[in-house]
Amino acid sequence: MMLELIHVAKKYESPGDIQGLSVLKDITLKVEPGRSLVIVGPSGCGKSTLLNIMGTLDYPSSGKVLFDGQDLAALSQKELAVIRNKQIGFVFQLHHLLPQCTVLENVLVPTLADKMRPSMKEIRDRAVQLLQRVGLKEFLLYRPGELSGGQRQRVAVVRALINSPKLLLADEPTGSLDKDSSENIADLLVELNHSEKVTLVVVTHSLSLAERMGWVMELSDGLLKDRSRP
Amino acid sequence: MSLWRLAKQSLGFYWRTNLGVLLTVVVSTAILTGALVVGDSVRYSLRMMVEARLGKTQLALVPQNRFFTAGLANELADELNTSSAPVLRVRGMIADGNDKRRANRIEVLGVDARFFTIGGGGNPFGNDTGQGVVLNEQLAARLKVAVGDEVLLRIEKPSVMSRDLPVSPDSDLSVAFRLKVMAVATEAEFGRFSLRANQVAPLNAFVPLGWMQDNLGRDEQANVLLVAGNPEGGIGPENANMAIKKRWQLADAGLKLRRLDEQDTLEVRSRRIFIDESLSEAAMGASDKAVGILTYFVNELRFGDKVTPYSMVTAIGRSADAAGIVPMEMRDDEILINQWVANDLGAKAGDMIELRYFALTPMRKLLEQAASFRVRMIIPMASAAIDPNFMPDFPGLADVDNCRDWDSSIPVDLDKIRQKDEDYWDKYRGAPKAFITLEAGRKMWANRYGNLTSVRYPGSTTSVQNLAGSLLKTVNPASVGLFFQPVRQSGVKAGGGSTDFGSLFLGLSMFLIIAALILMSLIFVFGVEKRSGQIGMLLAVGFSPKLLRRLLLIESGFLAVLGAILGSAAALFYTKIMIYGLATAWQSAIAGSTIRFYAKPLTLFAGALGAVIVSLIAIWLTLHKQVSRPARELLAGNPEWQFFGAKRISKGRTGLGIAITSAVGAVVLLAVLGTGNSGSISAAFFGAGALLLIAGLGLTHALLKIVAGSWNRTITSLAGFGLRNSTRRSGRSLAVVGLLACGIFLVIAIGANRHDPLADAHKRDSGTGGFVLFGQSSIGILHDLSSKEGRRSMGLNDPSLEDMQVVQLRVRDGDDASCFNLNRAQSPQLLGVQPEKLQERGSFMFTNVIEGAASKEAWNLLNRNLGQDIVPAVGDYATVIWALGKSVGDQLQYSDDKGNSFKLQIVGLLKNSILQGSLLIDGDEFIRRFPSEEGYRMLLIDCPEQKIDAVTDKLSFGLKDLGLDLTPAAQRLAEFSSVENTYLSIFQMLGGLGLILGSVGLGLVVLRNVLDRRGELAMLRAVGFDKITLRKMIFHEHSGLMLGGLACGVIAALVAVGPALKSPGAQAASFSLVLTIGAIGISGMIWIWIAANFALGGEMLDALRSE
Repeated sequence: MMLELIHVAKKYESPGDIQGLSVLKDITLKVEPGRSLVIVGPSGCGKSTLLNIMGTLDYPSSGKVLFDGQDLAALSQKELAVIRNKQIGFVFQLHHLLPQCTVLENVLVPTLADKMRPSMKEIRDRAVQLLQRVGLKEFLLYRPGELSGGQRQRVAVVRALINSPKLLLADEPTGSLDKDSSENIADLLVELNHSEKVTLVVVTHSLSLAERMGWVMELSDGLLKDRSRP
Repeated sequence: MSLWRLAKQSLGFYWRTNLGVLLTVVVSTAILTGALVVGDSVRYSLRMMVEARLGKTQLALVPQNRFFTAGLANELADELNTSSAPVLRVRGMIADGNDKRRANRIEVLGVDARFFTIGGGGNPFGNDTGQGVVLNEQLAARLKVAVGDEVLLRIEKPSVMSRDLPVSPDSDLSVAFRLKVMAVATEAEFGRFSLRANQVAPLNAFVPLGWMQDNLGRDEQANVLLVAGNPEGGIGPENANMAIKKRWQLADAGLKLRRLDEQDTLEVRSRRIFIDESLSEAAMGASDKAVGILTYFVNELRFGDKVTPYSMVTAIGRSADAAGIVPMEMRDDEILINQWVANDLGAKAGDMIELRYFALTPMRKLLEQAASFRVRMIIPMASAAIDPNFMPDFPGLADVDNCRDWDSSIPVDLDKIRQKDEDYWDKYRGAPKAFITLEAGRKMWANRYGNLTSVRYPGSTTSVQNLAGSLLKTVNPASVGLFFQPVRQSGVKAGGGSTDFGSLFLGLSMFLIIAALILMSLIFVFGVEKRSGQIGMLLAVGFSPKLLRRLLLIESGFLAVLGAILGSAAALFYTKIMIYGLATAWQSAIAGSTIRFYAKPLTLFAGALGAVIVSLIAIWLTLHKQVSRPARELLAGNPEWQFFGAKRISKGRTGLGIAITSAVGAVVLLAVLGTGNSGSISAAFFGAGALLLIAGLGLTHALLKIVAGSWNRTITSLAGFGLRNSTRRSGRSLAVVGLLACGIFLVIAIGANRHDPLADAHKRDSGTGGFVLFGQSSIGILHDLSSKEGRRSMGLNDPSLEDMQVVQLRVRDGDDASCFNLNRAQSPQLLGVQPEKLQERGSFMFTNVIEGAASKEAWNLLNRNLGQDIVPAVGDYATVIWALGKSVGDQLQYSDDKGNSFKLQIVGLLKNSILQGSLLIDGDEFIRRFPSEEGYRMLLIDCPEQKIDAVTDKLSFGLKDLGLDLTPAAQRLAEFSSVENTYLSIFQMLGGLGLILGSVGLGLVVLRNVLDRRGELAMLRAVGFDKITLRKMIFHEHSGLMLGGLACGVIAALVAVGPALKSPGAQAASFSLVLTIGAIGISGMIWIWIAANFALGGEMLDALRSE
């Protein structure tokens, strides 16, 4: 199993409320390798929180998260960073590209954290290849400020894939894009899921993107409900 | 792609922020390194001063008030294979040709070409051997004279015999000349020559050696000898002193050896009349035939009502020789009189004769004493005992033809001199009229200068040369003051141990450096916060916090190194500005000396390295917190929005805890130490103030937290909104409050310690000792100016002087150990005082005394017996603690006139007095150690206030020929205080600059806070707030922080300086401090206003769209 959540709950402290605010109540989820899962829900329901827990950016208040059979709670910060670097790719709503770096350099940023990385030539070739796949080969030396919103998000997707992760997490990847760009990104994600065999978990409140995924879950009142078509 | 490349890209992209960081690093480096380079410059200048004042001189022979043959210079040059120069040095005074401008206490140096050779430069005399004087630049400038102008030079005339002796004439103390200025000697021409490690240039006048010798009656003599080092090295005091022993002659010891054929005897006598004890011992030990002789001038020989006036009486050693005058069996209470006296008095053997004579007393007070002797025998006039050679060459007595022409300070009643006395003088001159035993004579007439006037060797067949050789072998030249001092070594040591201006300026600039570093940290952290999303992304893609810190440290390290390099260059300008300040507005701090710019590469490197390290530490401390935040917070953007997952809002317990603990600590400190002596009171108040500062900051922290957590109180006003806003970034707010509070605290706490010495200066326990005038003379004053007789002896008969009281001090010249001297004094000037005079008056105040002693009786400590060769001494606090680096109980090594070592032990410290620069010892001990010091050259004068001007005029005029300088005591005190006050001014100025940087920091915080909230402010405008209202809100928010910082600092500082505020002169300090605080407040307001305007500029609604 690629990713398994077992009775995961998340609670935040709240002034005036001794018990705190439960965002996630009892989440149990198993994601097989190669699947594409979308989690939908109203704004503020905890989708991003769930994604952060999956991506080791946050910890559950209770429950377990297993990644490739490993209990993430048992790992040190260093080990978690290695997992994020090598096993997981992130795509954020606001892309968080480095404005001071070129497209190519932005894509290569995650490789800097990999002590065991292959040669720079190999990495560079892979980066160029990936950028070509997303139609950005001509933009290698462009800065993010010179690209459109859709193009930036495509760069962010490539960055997430540079280390060949097993799991790709996308948090509202089309949230700040126009319709056409959103479509492009959605196509890209689906295509990568098929071609790269990377497990895809997307959080969105875009119905059109949700429809493109293989498995739909809805997060509501802290609980996940399966909304997939039979 | 690599970390370095990423760092490089980031540096270039965020150049605005990085420029701000760079500039602050440049500033902090410039100040830090610049301060150290100031230290280099001062040390270099002092080293150059050593070269300027000593030239190539390695060693100097400086026997006090003693003369040796100038030929000794040639002998030693030959023996040591180096250059040597004799100098005839006396004190003097000089005026321009019109007597309008004068300079007292100048050094007049009789020199020849050898002197300037040792100087290593040119000879300002050139080939001109005519009569004239060469002045050094400082003296020429003081008199405003140039080459060709005439000057009036008056020089001290050294006496063959100490003028403290009653028999020595007290007139003819100096001689004056009108001379033409032949040249002005520059520093390169050895114009700055001085053997003392003072950086204030001496006032030197040079005259030809031969001319000086002729006019002072010191043919072929000198009293200073300079020896140069040689390239091979090896010239040291040990071998130089051995060279003296090998090459000196009797004349160098002031001795004359002659054969008296008529008396068939060899005789040794001294040019100084009385033979030094060591020489006496050697002379007596040179032969078993030696007979000691002590001849004195007595007022009368009396038998009943008959009197023989003004006669020589000789005390002579007993002799077994039949030809001896005093037989072995003669008793000490017996006397031999010659026939002439027997006839004059009608006395015979067995009769009682009374001798009356003046004893040696301080200040030449004439104290007549009497002793009675029984006549043992009458000596016939044909006897060999009637020998005029028994009389030493008493100046004023031996060299006159008639009794009536006698010129000694002993009052001779001319009416008592009869014709028969004149006849005796004509026929027999000073042949003694009576003889007593040597022991009896020593009891009456032995003094600190010696206990023999000659030694004879009757019937000796030894040659003069052999006897001379025997004497020279036996005597240690050091016992007569002929020993070399390592002046160069001492000078270098004094400069090396000098006030560390580098550390001093570093300390003075510390707040400015800290302010720059805080500003740098603020700018840096703002830059990092702006990139929080990037940082979150990097953490999300697998960068470990350590790797991330490394990346950011690479960026900041580059900025730190580049900033340090540029800052090092800027440091040179900073140093030059500081040196310019020291040469102009702050010249009091260095007594007007010249500081030359000098920067050691190593110092620049060390300063730059230090700045890099300090900057990186500051950045690392800042980074640590930023990078430690969870990635999801950083990715979310505005950390204030992380409500979920936020920790419970604190009730400010930490801050309150700190505040209460510190406040209680302050109260306890005041209770325990606040009532002790002045030192502990000041320390207690300062400590309490510092604790209150911490308490204030703790309270601020607590308030920020409490207000931030007051969610249950709904905001209903703009002011409330502003207050809540000020708690959003409590770290930034606290940094600003802390920077301002600490800065104000330091500026006030230091600034309030300014002294106004003129306040209460009339009081006896003040630094003036209750004296109104302070006097220093070139030539010693021999009489007691407090007594009518003493004043009359000095020709001071004016009635305005009748109420004058004077405490007179003897002076042993030495290094100036005051705050005017940047060098570390090696051998401070010594003053000999009668302690009871100061004790009776209750003059001055002691800050510390040795354990077990009472401050009120501290002057009496100078009489305490501390053991063999340990002399108690008192010094001003600044002299002992700062100039000498010593404390109560510590000891200093000194050498007396005979070259014997003894120790001075500090037994008390005076508070801020006019006696700064010297150490005081008991007057009797002084003359025991330094018998050659004649008279009193320092005066502490008290008189009624309405008579000050008259006393000043009369004394200045009456003692003009002694070169008396009078200064109001309060003015002298003010001059010392001006040094300290100047340092305080420098600190205040630099501290003020630091506070201005602090207010720039405040502006940056405002700017950053507002820029962070652009969207929110845009929303406020969208709901109807206008720009003016928003500006007011921002202004209130941040001015509250500024006022909070000022309040914390001011309140804490006022407690810290409470004792100082009660002291006299506090008002002037308070006014300038109020101005400083006002300026900082206004500066802060301006920066807030500028930042708010800038941040609120542009289209705010654009910010809404990006939301």
